[in-house]
Amino acid sequence: MASTVIGAGITIEGEVSADDEIVVQGTIRGKLDAREGVTVEAGGVVEADIVSGPLSVAGHITGNITSSDKVELQAGARVVGNVKATRITIADGAQFKGNVDMDV
Amino acid sequence: MAQTRSTSTTTKHASPAVIGAGTRVRGRLTGDGDVEILGHLEGGVQLRGELFIGEGGRVVSDIDAGSLRVAGTLEGDVSVTGDVEILAGAKVRGDVRGASVSLEEGADLDGKLDCDFQLPSELADHAGHTGTTAKARR
Amino acid sequence: MALLTVIGRGVRIRGRVTGEADLTIEGHIEGEVAVSGDVTIESGGLVGANVSGRVIVVRGAVRGDLEAEDLVRLEEGARVVGDIRAPRIAIAKGGLVRGHVQTGGSSSGRPATASRAKVEAPAVRRAPVAPPRQAPAPVSAPAPRAAPVPAPLVAKSAVSAPRAVAAAAPAHAVSKGPPPPVVPALKKGAKAALKKKAQ
Repeated sequence: MASTVIGAGITIEGEVSADDEIVVQGTIRGKLDAREGVTVEAGGVVEADIVSGPLSVAGHITGNITSSDKVELQAGARVVGNVKATRITIADGAQFKGNVDMDV
Repeated sequence: MAQTRSTSTTTKHASPAVIGAGTRVRGRLTGDGDVEILGHLEGGVQLRGELFIGEGGRVVSDIDAGSLRVAGTLEGDVSVTGDVEILAGAKVRGDVRGASVSLEEGADLDGKLDCDFQLPSELADHAGHTGTTAKARR
Repeated sequence: MALLTVIGRGVRIRGRVTGEADLTIEGHIEGEVAVSGDVTIESGGLVGANVSGRVIVVRGAVRGDLEAEDLVRLEEGARVVGDIRAPRIAIAKGGLVRGHVQTGGSSSGRPATASRAKVEAPAVRRAPVAPPRQAPAPVSAPAPRAAPVPAPLVAKSAVSAPRAVAAAAPAHAVSKGPPPPVVPALKKGAKAALKKKAQ
């Protein structure tokens, strides 16, 4: 259960860093650093490089993703950027453009 | 309406001196005790105790007191060692300094408030100050 | 689907937070906060920014100005260094402020004059209403059958009306007292005395 929710009507322009999980239903533009985990819900927009723990996206991400854990693209997700993660799942219906580096 | 021109009035500690609703005072009011103003006072106030400006009271004066409660009208700067209570219905124009200043919803205030406290260090400005006034900050 | 945003305790934002939503801040924001909804800065919240919203409730620390469309409420534990402007402002005893605090009116930055102007305007508007209402009364009351006298000439009509009544019909005698004498009455023998003087 995330303790930080960026609701649908909110836009943040700048750098966001979090000690806990973040759920994005609104918009973040800039930089996002959330080591505990990031969930970008449907309708959520992140135009930023993301450094995170596990990341799950059903919304839009434009930026590079560096995850210490797994990255999940749900159906309806749209991700443009490079992804560095230990594991990655791209569901049927997700859109993705970028490189994947799984640090093998 | 009684009109009094006085230079100073000392009050006993026991019961508050009262300037009644129909009284106008032009001059300085000083004392050790508490004073209740329900009429008009213009001049200066220097009290050790509490000044209470009642609902119909009107004070045009700087205030130097132990504590202050305002339910009426006050025009002047306030410096109080204790607490300031601005009650709903009050109208205050002037700067107010006290250990704490409380404002009831419905009060009419236009002035600077100055309480002594420090902001958490995370909110220090570039110079590392947490205790500067808003004006200095700009 | 709540339009509530919670910036949790462990979150730090350096930038602008805007939007049409309510916002609860438990973390640390440096920059600017401007939302159309209600902003609540919780007791551990730290805001190094100007904040604007509809209702702003502060229990944490703010270095910045607070401007609300409706109400600013500082509760126990609030620490604010900055100006506060809102139609209604409440500060609990445990809330501490250093800055300019201004209640009432719009946040146009000219409060005292603006509110004074508002207070004076209705008084000015009331003045012209009263006299016109009084003017017709004296004209209509004493002599309804008197010659029609135009309203602006109130003073004249008040004097001439009784005379018109007296002249028209003694039977009328609406009796507002005897008509004022045209010529000052002379004492008996005064004429004779004057003639003597002249000689």
